[in-house]
Amino acid sequence: MRFAAASLICLLMASARVLAAEPAALSPQQEHGKKVYNGLCVFCHAPGLWGTTTLAKRMDKQHAVLDGRTDLAPATIRVAVRVGIGSMPPLRKTEVTDSDLDAVIAYLTRAGGNR
Amino acid sequence: MPSQAVLPPGVSASRFKSALKEFAGAVGEQWVLSSDEDRHAYLDAFAPGDADEHACSAAVAPNSTEEVQAVVKIAGRYGIPLWPISTGRNLAYGGSAPVLRGSVVLDLKRMNRVLEIDEELGCALVEPGVTFFDLFNALQAAGGKLWISTPAPGWGSVIGNALEHGVGYTPYGVHAETMCGMEVVLANGEVVRTGMGGVAGSRDWQAFKYGYGPVWDGMFTQSNFGIVTKMGLWLMPQPEGVANLVIGVPNVDDMPVLVDTLRPLRLDNTINAPYTIQNPYRSVMDDFLGEGKQRAQIYKGPGAIPLSVIENEIRARKKGMWNAGFNLFDTDKGLDLRLEAIQEAFAKVPGATVQIKRWRRGQPFEGWMRVTPGLFALGGVDWYGGPGGHINFAPIVAPVGERVRKLYEAIEKRYHEYGIDYYCGLLNIGNRAICVNAVTFFNREDAQMTRKGREMYRVLAKDGAAMGYGDYRAHISFMDDIAEMYSFNNHAMRRLNERVKDALDPQGILAPGKQGIWPHALRGKNRRGSPT
Repeated sequence: MRFAAASLICLLMASARVLAAEPAALSPQQEHGKKVYNGLCVFCHAPGLWGTTTLAKRMDKQHAVLDGRTDLAPATIRVAVRVGIGSMPPLRKTEVTDSDLDAVIAYLTRAGGNR
Repeated sequence: MPSQAVLPPGVSASRFKSALKEFAGAVGEQWVLSSDEDRHAYLDAFAPGDADEHACSAAVAPNSTEEVQAVVKIAGRYGIPLWPISTGRNLAYGGSAPVLRGSVVLDLKRMNRVLEIDEELGCALVEPGVTFFDLFNALQAAGGKLWISTPAPGWGSVIGNALEHGVGYTPYGVHAETMCGMEVVLANGEVVRTGMGGVAGSRDWQAFKYGYGPVWDGMFTQSNFGIVTKMGLWLMPQPEGVANLVIGVPNVDDMPVLVDTLRPLRLDNTINAPYTIQNPYRSVMDDFLGEGKQRAQIYKGPGAIPLSVIENEIRARKKGMWNAGFNLFDTDKGLDLRLEAIQEAFAKVPGATVQIKRWRRGQPFEGWMRVTPGLFALGGVDWYGGPGGHINFAPIVAPVGERVRKLYEAIEKRYHEYGIDYYCGLLNIGNRAICVNAVTFFNREDAQMTRKGREMYRVLAKDGAAMGYGDYRAHISFMDDIAEMYSFNNHAMRRLNERVKDALDPQGILAPGKQGIWPHALRGKNRRGSPT
């Protein structure tokens, strides 16, 4: 677990790029992912909230707001959600189904490609 | 992640496999969650030690009362303990993890429907998986005439919080008092409805709590006597205005006068919602956490941060050494009268400062109103850096300044002895009580720090009991320790609870060990501390 969390932080810090521009249109899956993200994840990960301030402390401000990054890999998001990372508890399948998680991943990686 | 399969106590691997198959028949295969990854997600995310001590063997997630009944009947046939959770976000009290290792978590999160909202009668009927965010959104969509009362972190279940005696910051802030009518699945699978719900076809379930005969609702809170699958809630009509007050007093020794000045104002309902008093440590730490700072930015020495360092920081920030914060809810004119009475009372306290904010209907909601759910309170877990967590020692005391001071100082002595920063809030509950909420933050990866926190908690439970106090709530690792505090007449309360447990749940399948109530077969073997 400790190794997984440390690796994840390294992975998160590996490439710092901030989203330059919002893509013109989202696919239906990305659109659904955006809805799930805005209905759940934002309660911690909106600007100024706990998840964002924690990421700003542990990494830097450029990496703090998830919905704006281009360096997130699908596996990174999946592990963070299902296993938890740092002070973020894992989210169970009753909270985010596998298909909802796939959609959130599609939304958050929309500009960074599928790595 | 749990590395080995965990079984319910006394159940063989082959029988457990058969039970899981039957659970799948009741709720659908995808909602029987037994992989290592699934089980990991049900561990206590803020465990003060080895989370595996409370690992579940699997989780089952029904979607209806009928499915809950089916699961309970299967569990009864196999003798499998179930640990019901609403949303599993009882953070700092065990989250979604069971007291008894190997229990199957009965995850009610999928039952997340707001069944009714009645703006005219000021009530709602909800299922256990409904969060404060869900209810807030549903009320806004229904017209916004009703407001929720949300606890500090709003992630959790509305029902779960009320059942655990959680509190909020409005006149409806004692959530166990705003329940009105429950639907409960008993250990034998039977469904009962309390209050007016006992009348077949009743439309007045949420109008009157008492029905006819004994009032059972309290029996299903902080207990393991049944599984609540629906609950009625009374909700506050939107007021014309809200006022926020922060009252500071200048000296470390001023807490008793602050408590004594607030008491009559709260008792006659001039202050019509709960107040929170920050101790000096909390006054500084809350500021730091809000500013994204950590402990190392104020103190790097050994042991707890010295009080002198905290005092200097408070003076630099021009704050009160103790700060009481609360909101008032009323018409504009009503707020004026309340504010006048409060200012008059505190004008007699040397050095007291009163800061006021106002909100009027039609203006956008402000964070200080605390009527919108949020998760900002969770920021504290990072105080020591690293993946954090916290536990709360939370005895109840009447709001009499000298009594609160003696209890507060007894706890403070232990915090200094163990070298832990004394983050404490005096949380007013109802008109007549204070909970001395002494929080222990820790870095979960620091074994020495978590061990110290656990040891101190158990010492505090003994200290508190010796002074005649009891906690209002407990983490799953300490439920027996807190039950031990309620020792009148050689634990007559525990014996009563056990008689009820054995009558309603003779096999002991519902949440063994919750609140220190163990079923007959597990008493003594699992309970910490006292003999059977």
